[in-house]
Amino acid sequence: MNNDAIKDLLYRMADDALIIGHRNSEWTGIGPMLEEDLAFSSMSQDKIGHAQALYNILYTSFGEKNPDMLAFQRAEKDFRSCQLVELPIGEYDFSLVRHFLFDHAEALRYGLLEASSFAPLAGLARKVRGEIRYHVMHADTFFKQLSTGNEVAKARMQSALNYALPYALGIFEPSAYEEALIADGVFAGEARLQELWLEKITPIVAAAGLQMPAIDAAKAIYGGRKGYHSEYLQPLLAEMTEVTSIDPAAEW
Amino acid sequence: MSLDPRINRLDLKRVNDGEQTASHLITWEVFHQDKRGKQPVHAGIVHASTPEQALMFAKEQYARRGKTANLWVVKTADVYTFNSEDEAIFETTPEKTFRDPAFYKVRERIEAFQSKNKL
Amino acid sequence: MYGNTSLTAEEAKIVNAAVEDPAKLEEFEARISRGEKIEPGDWMPEQYRKQLIRMIEQHAHSEIVGALPEGTWITRAPNFRRKLALIAKVQDEVGHGQLLYSAAETLGKTREQMLMDLLSGKSKYSNVFNYPANTWADIAVIGFLVDGAAIVNQVINSKGSYGPYCRALERICYEESFHLKQGHDNFVYLATGTKVQREMLQEALNRWYRPLLHFFGPSDRDSQHSEKLMKWKVKLASNDDMRNQFLDQYVPKILELGLTLPDPELRRGDDGIWVFGDPDWDEFKRVINGDGPCNAERLEVRRYAELAHRWVREALMNPKEKYVTPMA
Ligand SMILES: [Fe+2]
Ligand SMILES: [Fe+2]
Repeated sequence: MNNDAIKDLLYRMADDALIIGHRNSEWTGIGPMLEEDLAFSSMSQDKIGHAQALYNILYTSFGEKNPDMLAFQRAEKDFRSCQLVELPIGEYDFSLVRHFLFDHAEALRYGLLEASSFAPLAGLARKVRGEIRYHVMHADTFFKQLSTGNEVAKARMQSALNYALPYALGIFEPSAYEEALIADGVFAGEARLQELWLEKITPIVAAAGLQMPAIDAAKAIYGGRKGYHSEYLQPLLAEMTEVTSIDPAAEW
Repeated sequence: MSLDPRINRLDLKRVNDGEQTASHLITWEVFHQDKRGKQPVHAGIVHASTPEQALMFAKEQYARRGKTANLWVVKTADVYTFNSEDEAIFETTPEKTFRDPAFYKVRERIEAFQSKNKL
Repeated sequence: MYGNTSLTAEEAKIVNAAVEDPAKLEEFEARISRGEKIEPGDWMPEQYRKQLIRMIEQHAHSEIVGALPEGTWITRAPNFRRKLALIAKVQDEVGHGQLLYSAAETLGKTREQMLMDLLSGKSKYSNVFNYPANTWADIAVIGFLVDGAAIVNQVINSKGSYGPYCRALERICYEESFHLKQGHDNFVYLATGTKVQREMLQEALNRWYRPLLHFFGPSDRDSQHSEKLMKWKVKLASNDDMRNQFLDQYVPKILELGLTLPDPELRRGDDGIWVFGDPDWDEFKRVINGDGPCNAERLEVRRYAELAHRWVREALMNPKEKYVTPMA
């Protein structure tokens, strides 16, 4: 098996989960309803936990640094997260649409990985199945209810979708390792994942009465997977290291 | 400028004022079943607009720790109770022993019968 | 001032003077003195209902406003362990707010009305949350000592007479024990860590000492009592008793780490009563009346949470469904 290919995949997934987990955790205490604060907060805990598990695979299977070092002490250019997850939480419409677009991709990705030839990832995929199933169920319920709720909400959801979609296509930014991953039976590849994702979300968007924006690869916002990030990632990483940098030798 | 970087990222001025009426939606009574085979037990309420959403919320408020087999939700408006002034109807006179298993004691009778008939 | 009623002289007079149907009142009081709980559908004196709503509502506000100072450090928590614990802890506080608003709702006040009263300043929340969490060490002090103080209050209140409030508190106290443990863990790591960490912690401790003394409200000498509220098991312990219990439980846990408290007069008397220096009750009053370091921001953020997302709730609302008062 091609170790660099697997590592690249793990970093993409771990960094995505870490950053979106952080973003969603920002809703704790300021969400639209107390009950929804609780739900967003739980999902962010799940995501950060998934990131930890993925970094742990990098640590134990590939001798990379420990999960805390990987998550909290790495330079921005080494992050492989897509730009979708980096964007600020904005208003609830954007956060919800991002959650819907991202979590469907994530659920499908883990679904494919359950059959991965790389056992640690296959094992993790099975372990997180339940949590991710709830995330998708939550996203679908809200996506539909808000889109069909009233005209104001529908318009907000449509414009959030139009805005987020090019970023969401960035989830599937091709990597240099696609062929190796497919050949080794590790992962079916980003192109296949994007296909499955479109098949999955298109009818849900239609059923919610929204217009699916045209899928134009030229408009996809790529770069994150190669270390080119939006202006929003660096400030968040600085926050994440603020405490440890007070005394890097200390145990926090 | 807040000490909280999250708060600094919010557009706090984007607030639409006005009266709000019951905008926190209706309430649902939540029943929690911790294990298959056990009775679902009332756990509390959530505010939500539909049963699906009530279940989503109940899962995080009432099942985020420990074990859960299932949750039930029912609209508060669909639950009926006795008036508490009628609590007295639950008081049963003590003579209702015929409904108690302990009331039925035939051992003595059997023994008397046995000794009488030398069994 | 948490789930803790402190009355003005005027209010105490009203509570004490209220007249009720004597037969019903007698039955109600007999039930309480038998140790039975009052349930939402029961007859209850008007003042009982009013004071309970006020107390539970303030307690609920304290939970959701209390999520804000700690929320300050969510994105900055330094590693996986601390980050996950802090998010889960702040989440629980929001959950406590939800449970407590639910308990207050059973008494007939809607959640939006309570939230509106919070935003307008009509209804208060605990003063302690009007102070800033300046550093990561403040998170350790809050998690360990503010939660410690809250637990003293909540355990006592869970022995009260109103069923739904007691039920909510039972669940809350269980979760609080996790808060306390994770707070203590964080506190001990800083106290036993490097020089920089210890200094951070000591400074934070110095900042929080007074707000912690204020936590249980003014001294019994300066606050109004209502025999009725005691008899009805709405108020179960005096401010000074609770404060003393807190000092008794937590001061030794601070001192055992070689930390100090910024009060040369602080000591435990032979009678078990703690003596402390003047904690500046004028400051307490100033903060309660809106002039604390963070009052304006806390309300501004809550107003944002409540009003900027009203479109979400409006879109979810089904106009055919009518809100009815929940029962438990
Ligand atoms: Fe709490
Ligand atoms: Fe707490």
